Amino acid sequence: MTVTEAPQGTHRLTTSKAMVEAIDQEMAGDPSVFYLGEDVGQYGGIFSSTTGLLDKYGPERIIDTPISETAFIGLGIGAAVEGMRPIVELMFCDFMGVCLDQIYNHMAKIHFESGGNVTVPMVLTMAAGGGYSDAAQHSQCLWGTFAHLPGMKVVVPSSPADAKGLMTSAIRDDNPVVYIFHKGVMGLPWMAKNPRTLDEVPEGEHLVPLGKARIARPGSDVTVVTLSLSVHHALDVADKLAGEGVDVEVVDLRSLVPLDRETVLESVAKTGRLVVVDEDYLSYGVSGEIVASVAEVDPGMLRVPARRVAVPDVPIPYAHDLEYAVLPRQDRIEKTIRAAL
Amino acid sequence: MTEVLFPPLSKDSPEAEGVLATWFVADGARITADQLLAEVQVDKVSAEVPAPVGGVVHLLVKEEEAVRQGTPIARID
Amino acid sequence: MTTQASPSTTSPTVPAQAGAARPTLDPQIRLDLYRTMVLSRTYEEAILREYHADKGPGFDIGKGLVPGEMHLSAGQEPVAAGICAHLTTDDAVTATHRPHHLAIAHGVDLRAMTAEIFGREGGLGHGRGGHMHLFDPRTHFSCSGIIAEGYPPALGQAFAFRRRGTDQIAVAVTGEGAANQGAFHESLNLAARWTLPVVFVVEDNDWGISVPRQASTAVSSNAARAAAYGIPGERVEDNDVEAVYDVARRMVARARAGEGPSLLEVHTLRMWGHFEGDAQGYRPELAEVSERDPIPRYERQLREAGLLDDATVAQIKEEASARVGDAIGYAKASATPDPSTATDYVFD
Repeated sequence: MTVTEAPQGTHRLTTSKAMVEAIDQEMAGDPSVFYLGEDVGQYGGIFSSTTGLLDKYGPERIIDTPISETAFIGLGIGAAVEGMRPIVELMFCDFMGVCLDQIYNHMAKIHFESGGNVTVPMVLTMAAGGGYSDAAQHSQCLWGTFAHLPGMKVVVPSSPADAKGLMTSAIRDDNPVVYIFHKGVMGLPWMAKNPRTLDEVPEGEHLVPLGKARIARPGSDVTVVTLSLSVHHALDVADKLAGEGVDVEVVDLRSLVPLDRETVLESVAKTGRLVVVDEDYLSYGVSGEIVASVAEVDPGMLRVPARRVAVPDVPIPYAHDLEYAVLPRQDRIEKTIRAAL
Repeated sequence: MTEVLFPPLSKDSPEAEGVLATWFVADGARITADQLLAEVQVDKVSAEVPAPVGGVVHLLVKEEEAVRQGTPIARID
Repeated sequence: MTTQASPSTTSPTVPAQAGAARPTLDPQIRLDLYRTMVLSRTYEEAILREYHADKGPGFDIGKGLVPGEMHLSAGQEPVAAGICAHLTTDDAVTATHRPHHLAIAHGVDLRAMTAEIFGREGGLGHGRGGHMHLFDPRTHFSCSGIIAEGYPPALGQAFAFRRRGTDQIAVAVTGEGAANQGAFHESLNLAARWTLPVVFVVEDNDWGISVPRQASTAVSSNAARAAAYGIPGERVEDNDVEAVYDVARRMVARARAGEGPSLLEVHTLRMWGHFEGDAQGYRPELAEVSERDPIPRYERQLREAGLLDDATVAQIKEEASARVGDAIGYAKASATPDPSTATDYVFD
C-alpha cells in the first residue's frame, strides 16, 4: 500500500496518546467506528487506550462491557459482519483463554469459510508484556500464538508514530486485525520511564501499511530483528555498541501477519549475522519463524549461526530479579550480539 | 507572563505531592494555547496539563521530580 | 427450590395467556408451515441418501461426494418452520452444526447451499466452509460448528440493526447441551443488559450426542434459566409447530418493538443420530422415535381440518422433491474447487 501524505506538522505524544489520536480521528470521520471493552469508558482503558474518548463520543460509541469476553468479542464480530467497524479490547492478551474460540474459530475464519462473501472489519486490541512484576498470568506477549492461527492480521507497534499509523490502517482494513500494544511502550506515567515512548507523531491523517517492517536503525555489522518494547532495548544496545565501532541494524517488524520477510532477508543478506529478539516464549514462535524464513531461502547468508533472545519456556516469575532474568532486556541482547560478532 | 501550576488532583489533601511524569514540549519551545504541555500524577491518578495561553514556555521542574500540588511547573512568556 | 423475584423483572412469559387455548391459525399459514416442514424433511432425506451412497464398503467418513461429518435435522422441522414464519430475509439467523432446516425455512438459496454441502465452487462459500459453515449474507444466515458460539455474533448483528434504527432482529439457535456452555450465559446476560433485539432459541432434542439432558443439566427446563437474566422464557412441549409459531410470534414482536431478548425452548425430536454414522446404542427409545415424527402428526391435524387431502399432500411432496432434486443436480454439476486456490480467501 503506497502512502502519500501531505507534509504536515508533528507533535510529541506518548504511544498511548498516539493510539488514542488515531482512534479519535477515525471515529470523527466514520460513524460506524466504535470501541468496546472492559473499563474503556470513564476509566479510559486501564492502559490508557481510550483516554478522553468517552467525553468526546459518549457512551453510545465508547462502551463499557460486562466481564464477558466471549459475548462482547462475538458481538463485535456480528456488528462487523453487518458493516460496522468495531474496535474491541481484550484487556490483557493473557485473557485470550476465556474467549479464544470467538477469536480464532469465528473472527479469523468467517471470511474464509464464506468464500470471501462475508467480511469482518474488526480491530481486536490487547495489552501485552511484562517488566513490572505482574507475574505469570498478566505479563505475557503471546503475539506468536495469534500470528500462528490463520485468518487474522497481527500488528505490534513500538513507537508513537507507528502506534497511530498502524491503528488507522487497522481500522480501515476490511480484515480482522489484532493490534497488540506492549504496556511498556505506552509511556504510562505509572510505569518505569522509557524515553523512546514519547516521540513526534504526525498531527493529521497518518497511515502505516500493515505488513511492512521498518529499519529503525540502519547498520552493516549485524541484523537485529525485533518488535515492540524490544525495539527500544535493541536501539539502546545499538547506541552503546556504536561507541565501540559496531554498527547494528535494527529491524522493527511492526507486523507479524503479514510478515515482511523481504526486509529481513535483505538485511541479513547485507550483514550476514542475525539476532532475533522477541519477548514472547522462545519455542514454537516468532523467533523460530524469522530464523526459518532465512534458513529456507539461503542458510549460506549467515556467516555465523542465527541467535535468539526470547523469554525461555517458563511462566514469567513474580520476583523482580527472576522476571528480569527471563526478559530479553539490554544485557541479554548485548551479550548475544557480541557473541555473534 | 503566565504561571502554569501543578493541578490539584487530590482534593482531600491539597498539600499532596505528585510527580511531573512527562513533558510533551521542550524548554524554550513556542507553544499555542491548549497545546498539551505535560502529564502529571498524584498516586495513581494522572492528568493532562494544557497550556492556558500561547507563547514561549519555560520548564520549571524536571521529569520524575516530586512536586507539591499548586506549585508552578512552567512559565509562559 | 426457592425462587427470588429478580430486580428488573419482566413477567416470566411473554404477555398473552400461556396455556390458554390458541385461536386457530389462518389456513394459509398452516399450509405454509406444513409445506416448509415437508421441504426440509425431503431435503434431509435426499442428503441422507447422497451422503451414504458412496461411503462403502463399510463406512469411510472421508469418502464420497459429501465427505466429513453430517448432522441432519429430521424431526426438528417444527422449530424452524414455526419461528422463521415470522422472519424476513432481513432478519439474522445463527444456527448450529445441524443447520439445514433453519437455512431452508429462512430462505437460503437451496442451490448454493447444496453446492456448499457438496464442497463445490458454486456453493455459498465456494466449497471452503461445508455443511457446518454456511454463510449467506443475503439472508443474514450463518452457522458454526462450535457449541453455543453462534449466540455471541447474533448479539452483534442485533446491535448493528438497533444502532441503525431498523426493526430487524436476530434469532440465535442452539441446542440444550449448549445451554451449559459459558457463551450461552454470557450472551443472555449481555443481550438482556443492552436490550438487544434477539430471540434466543434452544432446541431441546434430549441428547447432547449421547448424553441425555437429565444427566447434563441442573434444571429441568432451560426456559427457567431466562429468569436468571431477567428475560422472558417459555418452553414448548411436544414439538408442536403451532405452539412454536404462537410463542415465536410474541417473542419476535417483543424484539422488534425494542423490548429486548427472550428465550424459547422447544422440546423437539432428533429422529436420526447426532451425526450420520452414529449407531445410537445409547438411546433406549430408538424404536419408538418414528411414532413421534411431527410431520405425519401435523398432516393428520390438517387433514382433519379439511386443509389437506391425498391430492394436495402428493402435490406438496412432489414440489418439494422437484426443488430438492434441482438443488442436488445443480450441486453435482458445479465445479470442484481447484487445489491451487486452496489458500484463497484468507484475507480480503
